[in-house]
Amino acid sequence: MGRRRWRQQRGDCRVGVRAEALPEAIAALSRTLPTGPSPEIFRRAKFDLPEAVPALWQLLFHVLSQVPEDCATTSLTPEAQVRWVKSTLRSQGYPRPALALLPEDGTQGSRELLLALSWLLARGPLLERVLTCTRVRLGDEMSVCECVDLARGRASLDQPTACKDSNSCLDVRHVQWLMGKLRFQWRNLISSHQEHCALLSKIHQYTRGCHSDRNLCHLSVAEVELLSDPEVGKQLLQRLECENARLEAALDWCRLEPVFWKWTDTVLDASPPGPPDTGSQPTFLPRISDQGTRGLELLAWELQALQEQLGAAVEARRTAWAVQVLAREPEWRAAMQTTEEAVERELEVLRQTWEQGADLTQLHGLHRLVRSETGALPGWGLHVTEAVGALRSKEACLEAALGWLQEQCRQELTRLVGALPELLWIPPHGHWEP
Amino acid sequence: MLPAECSRRLVTELRGALDACAERQQQLDQSLRGCRRLLRAWEPTGPPAPASTPGPETKKEDQPPACAPSPQDVKELELLTQALAKAVRVRKGVSRAGQGHKAPNLKPRTSATRASTPSQAPGQPGSRTSKTKPRQSIHQPKVPAKDHPEVKLLPGGQRTTQGTGVGASGPSIGDSQVAPEAFTLKEKGTLLRLPAVFQRAVSKNSGLWTQICSTETSSSASAAARARFLRKMRAASGLSSGSGLSAAEVEAEVEQLWHACSLLKLCMRNELAAAPTHWLQEYRRLLMLEGLQAMVGQCLHRLQELQEVVAEEQLESRPSGMPRKASLPCGGEGAPKSPQPLLYSSTQELQALTALRLRIAMLRQQLHLQKVLIAELLPLASVPGPYHLALCRAAYSLLCEGSQRFPAVLRDQPAD
Repeated sequence: MGRRRWRQQRGDCRVGVRAEALPEAIAALSRTLPTGPSPEIFRRAKFDLPEAVPALWQLLFHVLSQVPEDCATTSLTPEAQVRWVKSTLRSQGYPRPALALLPEDGTQGSRELLLALSWLLARGPLLERVLTCTRVRLGDEMSVCECVDLARGRASLDQPTACKDSNSCLDVRHVQWLMGKLRFQWRNLISSHQEHCALLSKIHQYTRGCHSDRNLCHLSVAEVELLSDPEVGKQLLQRLECENARLEAALDWCRLEPVFWKWTDTVLDASPPGPPDTGSQPTFLPRISDQGTRGLELLAWELQALQEQLGAAVEARRTAWAVQVLAREPEWRAAMQTTEEAVERELEVLRQTWEQGADLTQLHGLHRLVRSETGALPGWGLHVTEAVGALRSKEACLEAALGWLQEQCRQELTRLVGALPELLWIPPHGHWEP
Repeated sequence: MLPAECSRRLVTELRGALDACAERQQQLDQSLRGCRRLLRAWEPTGPPAPASTPGPETKKEDQPPACAPSPQDVKELELLTQALAKAVRVRKGVSRAGQGHKAPNLKPRTSATRASTPSQAPGQPGSRTSKTKPRQSIHQPKVPAKDHPEVKLLPGGQRTTQGTGVGASGPSIGDSQVAPEAFTLKEKGTLLRLPAVFQRAVSKNSGLWTQICSTETSSSASAAARARFLRKMRAASGLSSGSGLSAAEVEAEVEQLWHACSLLKLCMRNELAAAPTHWLQEYRRLLMLEGLQAMVGQCLHRLQELQEVVAEEQLESRPSGMPRKASLPCGGEGAPKSPQPLLYSSTQELQALTALRLRIAMLRQQLHLQKVLIAELLPLASVPGPYHLALCRAAYSLLCEGSQRFPAVLRDQPAD
């Protein structure tokens, strides 16, 4: 029956591409997607049939959260997943208000969900991201820039327990205790990492020359594990073969994609147009958290202070310079112009650094660790020393930012305490502030 | 006491930070355990590598998979091996005659066949025999030893050639030694070879990744189709008013402005710290500072625009018990990349990089917590109350000293 329906739909899409391309395209898509939904789901969703709803909510949850399939489903109820998908899509700017109005019990709205999925596919590198996230890791990989770890941390689920004891008032000492605990955990983490590095380095050194890839030279932990335990080896091979199948499906998808978009156009035409009045859907406006607005105020505060500092520094120097230059303007003219151009270029580089994150472009993404005593082939890979150099400047930036905030707090608190009568406030470091 | 709302926020943030740390520690502990296991003695499975000399092989291919031996077992076996070695030395001195005749039928299965891998998994039938039999062999004139491999190895070698065909596709080790030592990576790691099936799968995988990376950017037909679909959807939903910025985009821009702010600040500090000796340097510095000032102005302008956007939209906090927003993976929007190599030449180098990475992660977290603490504690510190002084002291420690030091407060009562 499914096949007959597919044939009917071929008439719908009326495209120049081969007639059987649409089922093929959808099959390729579903083989690429993480939960591997049946292609039948897409057909049902076009006709807005309720059977397709649960699978589509789940699929949306997985592609948006990028939490591994097994652990995500156990910790959140389907209703919570639905709410989360709605709020995430809203915060990403999903334009259709109809989605927010869907019931949370997963009984209807499969067409809307298909449209939401199509929107995600059309908008961004969704499949690419999904593929990258689930990639089988063979090497000993490390992220230099720390974005990955941070992202992983953020994507984790909030523990409901964290909010349970929240209705009571706490002593500030509890906050201090938690901060101490955090420092202690970091210390543990650092020493464990040091040990990990030492062990990795040993394994790499002891397996020198074992890898068939001459550039990589040695084995990684995963590869040695494969040799030490046949069961692990079998699993790894299986996962690798699964991934290869998914990658092949993704390549098919890339080829057949235009057919799919023709089809989704017809899905869009079949769905009722949304109400044109935007004012009546307050739930669909972008979501900015409370924390976000406070962050904006703090940033404004910081930028203003910076501007004041710069203003003062510039003013003094400008006057001094004006006096100096007045006498010798003509002879200095050429040199001054060269300097002006050089400064302009320098500032442009600075702007690019933050606009495109150009300082760390090479550092982004995961890297496979390769131990090589001889040094690298030119143009192949990134050397640790280069990475360290780039990270040092980042460290300096962060330190400066933190130091500045602490200094501001120091001034503010000293001012506040200074207003109290009959008190001597002695900050640490031994310097007195009466 | 802190107000309930403030307590809730601080505890949630700090618990989040602690959980992130704990999760990371857990993952790290797991991989540490894995690494330690691999560096202890274990038994590589599979047939010899095709490249290595097929000579006197002593391995059994059809044996069950080896589990990791417990440290206790490894220790005992080490002692046993030492005792055996000693026995060999003693025996060699005492009885030189006739030893070669007895050996082959004395120890065909145990010492010889297991010679390269005496560390057997506990609880495995094979391991029990290999544990007990060497003890018997002490009483024999011949014990497994390197001294006479050619005599003892014949039976074992024959058996291996039969077994090789069975598990030819499995992982392999090209080990041709017969010494009764445990297999350790340190001693024999360089003899390991990856199985051919696995190598084929890996090369296919990397080929596919290369293809994916190259096709992503090339198909303009799909890009056009996608763009058209998005336009159509936007038009159909009738949502045309508003800033056109989603909350995620606003957040990303704010994040970028924070980055800009810290870069500009760093730049300013460097400029002010330098001591120009030449008039041209002095001029350069002036221009730099002016340029920075203009850039800060632009950032402030953009921030004001963003603030307006935020003010127009309705505020909504994230419901509790929900996953946080899944942020983009590192590397941003580009095509997927297979991991690039990161080269290091010594353990110290690797450790230095890791320490720096952690330092940055920690600073990021500290910076975030600092902002949260400022937003929550500073307003409280400015309102007098019963615990005002204690609060100020705690806030000073948390906000200005990284909660590592405290200020001292003395009551300064004027002498009468």
